[in-house]
Amino acid sequence: MISGSNLEQVLTSGQFTVTGELGPPQNGNFDVVRDKARILRGHVDAVNITDCQTAIVRMASLTAGLIALAEGVEPVMQMTCRDRNRIGIQSDILGASALGIKNLLCLTGDHQKFGNHPHAKGVFDMDSIQLLGMVKAMRDDKKFQCGDEIKSHEPRLFLGAAANPFADPFEYRPIRVAKKVEAGASFIQTQIIYNVEKFARFMEIVRDLGLHEKVYILAGVTPPKSVGMARYMKKFVPGLDVTDDVIERLKGAKDPKEEGINICVDIIKQVREIPGVAGVHVMAIEWEQAVPEIVSLAGLSPRPGAKSVEPRLRSSEAIELIVSEAKEGARAETEKALEQAKAEAQASRDLVVKEKEKVTSEISGLKRQAEEAKAIAGEKATEIERLTAELAKAMAGQGHAQAVSGLAEKGESSMLSSRERSVLTSLRSGLEALRKGLGINEDQLEALRRFFEAEFLLRMDTVPSKEAVAPGEKPAKPEAEARHKEVVNLVAKGNVLLHKNDAAKALDAFSKALAIEPKDQKAGEGLKKAREALEIAVPAEEAAGPAVPEGVPPCPEGLSPEEWQQKWVIRLVAKGNVCLHKGDVDGALKAFMQALELKLDDEKAKAGLLKAESGEVTPVLVPVEPEVPEKEVIPPFPEPKAVPVTEEVKAEAKKEAPVPTAPTGIKDISVAKLPKETMSLSERAGPVQKDQFTESYTGIIREVSLDEGEKALTVGGASTLPFHLFEGDMPHVPRVAYEVLDSEPEDWPDVLGKYYSDVSSDPVAWARKCTDDYGAEAICLSLISTDPNGMNRPSSEAAKKAQSVIEGIDVPVILWGCGNAEKDTETLREVTNLVGNRKVCLGPLSDANYRSLGATAMAFQLPVVASTPIDVNLAKQLNILLVNLGLSLDQILMDPSIGAIGYGIEYSYSVMERIRLAALTQQDEKLQVPFICNLGREVWKTKECRLPSDAILGDQERRGVLMEAVTASTLLLAGGELMVMMHPKAVALTEALIKGMM
Amino acid sequence: MIIAEQKPLDEILEMISGVERLLVLGCRGCVAVCSTGGDKEVGVLASALRLGRNKAGKPIKIDEETYVRQCDPEYLEPLKQDGENYDAVLSMACGVGVNFIADRCPDINVLPALDTSFYGANLSSGEWAEMCAGCGACVLHLTGGLCPVARCAKSLSNGPCGGSVGGSCEINKDLPCIWHQICEKLTGRNQDQLLREIVPIRDWRPSGHGGPRRRIREDLLP
Amino acid sequence: MNNNHQIGRIVAFCCNYTASVATDTLRDAGLIPESLDVRKLPCTGRIEVPALLDAFEQGAEAVFVAGCRVDECHNLSGSRRAEKRVGYTKKILKELDIDPDRIEMFFVHYGETQPIVEAVREMTARISKLERLHSI
Repeated sequence: MISGSNLEQVLTSGQFTVTGELGPPQNGNFDVVRDKARILRGHVDAVNITDCQTAIVRMASLTAGLIALAEGVEPVMQMTCRDRNRIGIQSDILGASALGIKNLLCLTGDHQKFGNHPHAKGVFDMDSIQLLGMVKAMRDDKKFQCGDEIKSHEPRLFLGAAANPFADPFEYRPIRVAKKVEAGASFIQTQIIYNVEKFARFMEIVRDLGLHEKVYILAGVTPPKSVGMARYMKKFVPGLDVTDDVIERLKGAKDPKEEGINICVDIIKQVREIPGVAGVHVMAIEWEQAVPEIVSLAGLSPRPGAKSVEPRLRSSEAIELIVSEAKEGARAETEKALEQAKAEAQASRDLVVKEKEKVTSEISGLKRQAEEAKAIAGEKATEIERLTAELAKAMAGQGHAQAVSGLAEKGESSMLSSRERSVLTSLRSGLEALRKGLGINEDQLEALRRFFEAEFLLRMDTVPSKEAVAPGEKPAKPEAEARHKEVVNLVAKGNVLLHKNDAAKALDAFSKALAIEPKDQKAGEGLKKAREALEIAVPAEEAAGPAVPEGVPPCPEGLSPEEWQQKWVIRLVAKGNVCLHKGDVDGALKAFMQALELKLDDEKAKAGLLKAESGEVTPVLVPVEPEVPEKEVIPPFPEPKAVPVTEEVKAEAKKEAPVPTAPTGIKDISVAKLPKETMSLSERAGPVQKDQFTESYTGIIREVSLDEGEKALTVGGASTLPFHLFEGDMPHVPRVAYEVLDSEPEDWPDVLGKYYSDVSSDPVAWARKCTDDYGAEAICLSLISTDPNGMNRPSSEAAKKAQSVIEGIDVPVILWGCGNAEKDTETLREVTNLVGNRKVCLGPLSDANYRSLGATAMAFQLPVVASTPIDVNLAKQLNILLVNLGLSLDQILMDPSIGAIGYGIEYSYSVMERIRLAALTQQDEKLQVPFICNLGREVWKTKECRLPSDAILGDQERRGVLMEAVTASTLLLAGGELMVMMHPKAVALTEALIKGMM
Repeated sequence: MIIAEQKPLDEILEMISGVERLLVLGCRGCVAVCSTGGDKEVGVLASALRLGRNKAGKPIKIDEETYVRQCDPEYLEPLKQDGENYDAVLSMACGVGVNFIADRCPDINVLPALDTSFYGANLSSGEWAEMCAGCGACVLHLTGGLCPVARCAKSLSNGPCGGSVGGSCEINKDLPCIWHQICEKLTGRNQDQLLREIVPIRDWRPSGHGGPRRRIREDLLP
Repeated sequence: MNNNHQIGRIVAFCCNYTASVATDTLRDAGLIPESLDVRKLPCTGRIEVPALLDAFEQGAEAVFVAGCRVDECHNLSGSRRAEKRVGYTKKILKELDIDPDRIEMFFVHYGETQPIVEAVREMTARISKLERLHSI
């Protein structure tokens, strides 16, 4: 295969091939090309896209070819030498190749005299044969015409050329075909054939020259539309031989168009019989509709399915189609996964129930056993007492005392010694039973055993028969005893260490014990266990290696070593936090230590280390292993963190702050205080009973903290519907954040833009202006510059900018991405890496990127904005997904998607209201999180905010401000806790409303 | 020879609209032979211009002169002096003469009276045709002495295009298809092998696309 | 051509063999108006475009050339050449936005006077319809 084009494949397969022709329009109408392509699709194997045929300016063949390609129609791009020199031609060929065009028809081109620009300079830098040679060399020799090498991606094109069997001198025409084949043509398309007899003669010479074996010849046919067209072609088109027969047939026809199609079909059938004809080239310019019928009547339908017709560029429609298909697929997959997860959850729940039952029965069995064992132990104890007494009696009776061990060592057999042994054996088995029954652990057992044995030996010692002991053995006994004690201690220590997972030290202990007492069974067993434990631990540690590497990996390009180290410290601290979160104290210790090694004074790492050392471990919310029965995690009752008093103090302090002076052209952005209702509702209600106008709520909205320190904000905590202070508590007032863009706003109306015009190019100054001049309590930094469809600023660059904003202000920051899930993940991660210490809020998290961003938020313990498109269930689902990921609901702010007033606010209101009611009255805990409403941007893009001032609509600025403030107040009433707004006056109004209502 | 054609009178009148003393300067070289810029044509033009200016009510003083050639420095010598008497010199030489006057006599306002067209031959009295393109890389030995560069509408190198019918060029029935003639000639001389060989892409530099051309013959240099 | 010669409103270039005989006869008969300036040529084939243009330049309102009939030319093709030059002059006049009808070629049989009378009448009629080319 040369280019692997569909045309090439069909031709090489030996099938009778059909190509069509598509004349691009004399304008820039995309649809014309698309529609023509759609008519031809499936009826031809490839379509010639003419290159300004008859020298009339038309849409470029490359462009039209790409449109056809996007419609799944394989183009044969035509290239003439009339309009471009070798530089232009080669350049276009590279472009065509890059964009997936695989066939090229090389033509000299009609003279410009015939077109609509007869005054043009014809280029004719080369002729069609030289063009073929040039493109072939580009393809096969990887060389430009000048001889320079094409280093890679040489254009791989299936090359064709034209031939006119009806031009003069007739005898020369096949020779010219031979030249074209030699120059590089793989297929030939002929001039329109009406004179089949002459064409057959031409083919005869072609066959004599053996050309039909070297090149695929496609006979050109055209349905004549009318007698007039046939006559015109005969008379005015040079080199077109329209026979009188054709003209007569058309003249006599009732329906000349139908007859035209019949003539064309007849010619196709005739040329098909001529040996060496590989296919037909149906040219029905401006009559593309005729092609399907012609192809079908000629018995050439259906065409083999188009292969390898793969557009590199797609039309927006095609993209939409693909996207919708992909969406559909993804949705189906998600549903399937959800179903599966549900089934698994059910299965594990069942398993848990079973396990529970099993465990319960086992426990009762054990209890029973323990009681039995106790009884046995009681019996044994009496037995021991009896035996001890007997032993004492016996020893006293015998008159000499001997250590049991000593007896055993001597190998002397006696009644007493065997009794002694049986005593000790029964003693041990009794203790074993005790251990099993009572759940005594090894240490305790050891202690007990030692107690009993010591008791036993002590009693022996009290027997006055010391002299009976062999003098030689005398020093051995205390030594053996000490040794034994030592061994016992070591074994006990080893067991304890094993318990603590310190296999190495345990191994050490056991080895020491064995060194002292090589035969000690316990020590031997312990040693084995320790070894096993070590063997398991080592690979585990190795596997864990990359996650917590010992040193800092090599610094990647584009970062200074300091930056990289800084990043790495942040990463390690994050890792430590995750470990702590999971309850892996050792892992946490290790991570924090490493972090401190890199940066001695890192506060976070120090704090983490302290936590880890003190064993202060965050409870694990998510079961690590599926077998472990899911524990019902009761969320901790939210305790208000900020004492109301301080809140008030802060509010007071704010009130004291001087009202900022307005910039040029502003009247006054300060707002009069809203008079508060001083009389309580119950007073106002008069005789109406309180229970008749109050509702009780069972749920409480969680509190979410933004940032830390002095200027930290907490939102949420409400135990009632918004501002229903007569029913419940709203511990935290709703807040307003100012939106700051990270690049110059492009389309802001002047009445808004003027407030920030002095700072709009510098987000840091902008944010400071919001905080310093307008008293912003929080900033929402919109990373619009990162939008891949807009400026597409690289994430790293945007992150640095965001870092400077975050570090430039002390109020909480909400980072709002551009809305492209992938890009936002990249950018927000980058920012968190840079500002690991600040608790910025990340958003928006969507179903597309909640995993990656959720993990980031978890690692840095950052609040997030969970964004869903105006739907209760979607909002809830995203929260569930985030919780499953390990996030706490205390970290989540919900963005239910906001519509401005007049632009769907009723939907936002309704969804928010339903979410809030479910949270407060139906204990739907997954919905008990505060709302964030990013409304400013929605309001200021509306038409109403952009129309200039006029008599009917009034002052533009006032209109916009009211739109924004009313939108905000609506959303506040729906339950919104955090408003993101733009206009200072609108913010002032909103804050006045909040103050008045609280 | 170089074939030229006189510009339309209105264009020339426009050119000399501010001129009160004019020298119409002919050339006895190519333009005299092709009856465009010799003594006779100088007389006609001068007369016509006077008539035109008189009619417009702006009479003009026109002198007539014809040099042997305007493309050799020695013949231009007198103009350096005489030229001072005129507001403009209307050269009836080819573009070479106009350029050369402009080069050699920088103070003279030289104007072209002709459009210089091509290198042609005199087919018959009053008829001239292009025969050479001055492309600087002659291929006539391969084409039976007939030039496809100058005489084919598309300057094809490898045979006639599909528009060649009945020996005529597709752009004009009265124009012979030179490739048709080349084919016939070479076939008749048993040189048709030349028609089968692929002629590679031309180097257009010698034809002027490599910048203005200059020829030097060392032995003649002063 | 003498520039000092008083030129009438119509200039006639006449062949010495044919037209001049007629003009002389007419002049003798007093039938030639003062405004007609007859210039004799050995053969109209000798006439050159500048001479025709000069006539206009010197104040002619109209010019005509009277030569032998095409098949009677003493010099075989003289009058035919003259006709072409008149044609060329017409082209120049046209370019100068001067009515080309101001110049014409007439063919006269040896000894005939009537064609000359007709020519003068014709040209006089033509110029009387046109604006004057030269102010008096």
